[in-house]
Amino acid sequence: MSIIRLALPNRGRGGSGLALAMPAVLLLLAFFVIPVAMLLLRSITEPEPGLQNYAALVGSPTYAKVFLNTFFVAGIVTLITVLIAFPVAWALTIMPRPWAAVIFAIIILSMWTNLLARTYAWMVLLQQTGLINRILISIGIIDQPLQLTNNLIGVTIGMVYIMLPFMILPLLGVIRKIDPSILQAAALCGATRWQALTRVLLPLATPGIASGGLMVFVMSLGYFVTPSLLGGTANMMLAELIAQQVQSLVNWGMGGAAAFILLVVTLGLYAVQLRFFEAREGTR
Amino acid sequence: MTTPFLHINGLRKVYGNVVATDHVELAISKGEFMTFLGPSGSGKSTTLYILAGFQDPTAGDILLQGRSLLSTPSHKRNIGMVFQRYTLFPHLSVGENVAFPLRVRRAGKDEIDRKVKKALKLVRLDGFEDRMPANMSGGQQQRVALARALVYDPPVLLMDEPLSALDKKLREEIQFEIRRIHQETGVTILYVTHDQEEALRLSDRIAIFNKGKIEQVGTGPELYANPATHFVADFIGDSAFLGGELAAIADDRATLRFADGEVLAGVPLHGTGTAGDKAELMLRPERIELAAGPGREGATLPVVVEDVTFLGNNSTVTARTGWGDALTVRLNFGHPMIGSVARGDRLHVQWQPKDAHVFVKP
Ligand SMILES: Nc1ncnc2c1ncn2[C@@H]1O[C@H](COP(=O)(O)OP(=O)(O)O)[C@@H](O)[C@H]1O
Ligand SMILES: [Mg+2]
Repeated sequence: MSIIRLALPNRGRGGSGLALAMPAVLLLLAFFVIPVAMLLLRSITEPEPGLQNYAALVGSPTYAKVFLNTFFVAGIVTLITVLIAFPVAWALTIMPRPWAAVIFAIIILSMWTNLLARTYAWMVLLQQTGLINRILISIGIIDQPLQLTNNLIGVTIGMVYIMLPFMILPLLGVIRKIDPSILQAAALCGATRWQALTRVLLPLATPGIASGGLMVFVMSLGYFVTPSLLGGTANMMLAELIAQQVQSLVNWGMGGAAAFILLVVTLGLYAVQLRFFEAREGTR
Repeated sequence: MTTPFLHINGLRKVYGNVVATDHVELAISKGEFMTFLGPSGSGKSTTLYILAGFQDPTAGDILLQGRSLLSTPSHKRNIGMVFQRYTLFPHLSVGENVAFPLRVRRAGKDEIDRKVKKALKLVRLDGFEDRMPANMSGGQQQRVALARALVYDPPVLLMDEPLSALDKKLREEIQFEIRRIHQETGVTILYVTHDQEEALRLSDRIAIFNKGKIEQVGTGPELYANPATHFVADFIGDSAFLGGELAAIADDRATLRFADGEVLAGVPLHGTGTAGDKAELMLRPERIELAAGPGREGATLPVVVEDVTFLGNNSTVTARTGWGDALTVRLNFGHPMIGSVARGDRLHVQWQPKDAHVFVKP
């Protein structure tokens, strides 16, 4: 986020601010602006000048399906992540300190564990003869193994798991700041648990839900490893499309165009979030 | 005996190995202003929290009009509460904060409008409906909290040190408002504070808490004139304690011998003791007279003046007895000795025996 802030025009700062920001600006130029500019350039010049790459991406049903998959999965993943992360963050806030510390450590450690390893672990768990199917069959919920890998279900499960910490952390940030006596006050005012949740807790946690949700959504849009391992070839997502275009087909124009669309969507979402937060801060 | 309006019956609460309250027993009448006064950690909040339903007691019961509240969850107890910390809902306007209890009770729009207006008027904040809590002072926020706690006409209002975060002047202003609101609404109030002045100013009766137990219950004047224990005597009003030994006991009068051999007879005794027990003589500063020599009537002791402080409407003289205990004497403005008393003077203090109290040391 700080990168985005720096990239935005510097409001109300003098020349000395710019001088101080020089190293960062150079770094951004070298590793961000120039590569993106080259990508953009290649997307409108290869194989020949024009917008035909973008036209193809927008026009063809095959590519449309990739975009649809990507946004659909990212949306579902975000939703499920919020639904799981909220109770987890709440439980972490109210449970006794030592327990909360242990669970918090597990969450952080899982973020540091290799992504590939964790995704492979899910492949093993989710496959037809995997643990999850065996348990479901043995307790009699199903009698045929469910198809949980090589489709969007597998992708969703795997991505929710990977994204959870990114949702839990910002939620913890806002929920920990809520004074428990505010909820006690709500209860004495006559609010049931449900009313206290929907009328007090959720509104107060909204900034955390928004920032965590946006982060998860944007990360999900660009995810590559999990969809390619758990999603199979039939359900391609945007990151896979880009990799395929560039690596297998050496089609830099098409890959660049897809990447550029992804970048624009991402930046657009961040801009919305920045506005949202600045508007909120303004009322404080 | 008739059923008390609110009966706190043998309440005990244990956290791990900490006994927060023990055998708290109190009967409160309808419309009464009852204050829990005691030092920090003496179990006042715990008692209030059990009433609110945030904690379950280890033993004992809470009865409102004869019916136990313990199995009723907080949100169904219909009790109002103002907390020590600011607990307005920060995302809701003042009007919506006060409307909250009515909204969760699914009241109609007209009723909500009418009651919110009335409650805000009661705390003198009419016209503040659209303000956000963050844009209000601490005193205003606590008044909104009071309106929110009263808008649904609860039979009992709990207040847990609601003014402790405010400065002295503002505190006194709001104390005055709370008294007025109590008179206007007739609501039964349980008020917690560690500030004796606040307790004396507000309450019909005061329960003195110490180490989880109630030491004494009574009106302010009762507690001041007849403290049952050393702790109460020390907590209400500033008093001097002179250490000595019980020499003899007759009925409820004691004879006390001090370290320098000085003997006082006929002092009211609190508690039980036998000759030889360590005891303390308690004196209120405004009951002590300062004189040049030993008086003809009453009790008297020689002292050496240690310090004189002029405080406007009175002067405070700190003096020390022959065996080293300090006591203060208050001289009202105009007292002939003001101006002449000085550090190092050898004078006498005297008082009426009935104005002193002897507490046997445990
Ligand atoms: N939730 C709790 N867990 C453990 N001990 C507590 C808890 N609440 C209060 N206590 C202890 O109980 C005693 C009484 O506390 P409290 O009722 O808050 O006192 P007061 O309100 O008079 O200051 C204190 O020793 C306090 O440390
Ligand atoms: Mg307290």
